[in-house]
Amino acid sequence: MVALPLSYSFAFVNQWVWATVHERKLIPTEGFRDPAALRQALVDARDAMLCLVGVQGPLLAAAFEGEVFNGVIRLHFAGGRFPQEQLPTLRQLFPRASITNNYGCAEAMPRLTVRSAEANELSANVGRPLPGIELSADDTQLLRFRSVYGAVAVFEGGRLREIGTEDWVPTGDLAEQEDDGTWRLLGRTGEVFKRHGEKVSTAQMLETVGQTWTAEAATYPDEDRSGEPGYVLVLAPAPDQVGVRTLLRVIRSRHARAQWPLRIEGRETLPRLANGKVDAAALSAEEGPVLWDQRT
Amino acid sequence: MAAREKLNDLLMDVFLLDDGELGDELRRADLDTWDSLGTVSLAVGVEEVFGYHMTPEEATGLESVGGLVALLRTKGIEIE
Repeated sequence: MVALPLSYSFAFVNQWVWATVHERKLIPTEGFRDPAALRQALVDARDAMLCLVGVQGPLLAAAFEGEVFNGVIRLHFAGGRFPQEQLPTLRQLFPRASITNNYGCAEAMPRLTVRSAEANELSANVGRPLPGIELSADDTQLLRFRSVYGAVAVFEGGRLREIGTEDWVPTGDLAEQEDDGTWRLLGRTGEVFKRHGEKVSTAQMLETVGQTWTAEAATYPDEDRSGEPGYVLVLAPAPDQVGVRTLLRVIRSRHARAQWPLRIEGRETLPRLANGKVDAAALSAEEGPVLWDQRT
Repeated sequence: MAAREKLNDLLMDVFLLDDGELGDELRRADLDTWDSLGTVSLAVGVEEVFGYHMTPEEATGLESVGGLVALLRTKGIEIE
């Protein structure tokens, strides 16, 4: 049995706290497992808050295209990549809602940073630390936090350990601080690597892809012919050749060749875990058409 | 598909070129995507498309598309 900190269910916790503080009902649904019930809950909502993870942005846009839910006044994204490119659609769906990117990690409660959706055009920008939170990054860009709230606890050698207010805690993300004081995520520690001497961040590549590709995109690691680490970009649904060319043109304009994907593959849909995140193992195990191959 | 068409498709695919950028006069020095990895990619592509395995010296010695066309001609692959 594995015990996980409650913050692993942050979207739920956030809504539960909001409902408690504002004396509202907490309306549990089965999410996208039952879209009709979710739609009805959104139609019935009055001055409601909805907290999601990033990957649910495109799902919302696809499931409820053209609909309007005026009863939602707060829309928080608190997990995974913030769906910045879906913002126009989310604005149409929830015209009264303030939309925010809430960043945190499993050990961080409540969250580490927050920014309004309009405050930055990059989904990787997570804004500034919340009051009581300090962030720092070392030479390797590993992002750490310290919180006056202390924290829950972390597994360490199979045991729980309380995190004190003076303890710096690694988030598992790499990040850089921008000149304006906000923080920009570079990816998880496993998502940033060197390829032929060039630093590669799959999070940054997904940021670039998102500028022109608004459907689903994900990456999985692979090696090139010489054994150098690389990654495969997966798009769902698979674009046509014109779409691939358009995307490659954008990639060429912004990234050195070493940062390009080894291949671009298509899928009908991306495999997902129950929590809505992309199932990385299934993604690499599945086969799909190769839309472009760098041949390196 | 004609050999020239195959070559153009390959160059567009390897160097992410647009139609307007294609031509024998296109030089390695003028193309940001024709770097060392681009050279590897081109060599693999030439073998895939034309069945000719370039030596490392041939691949790294190329200075232009025209040079590649000339090299392929010496190997019996006519690019009209």
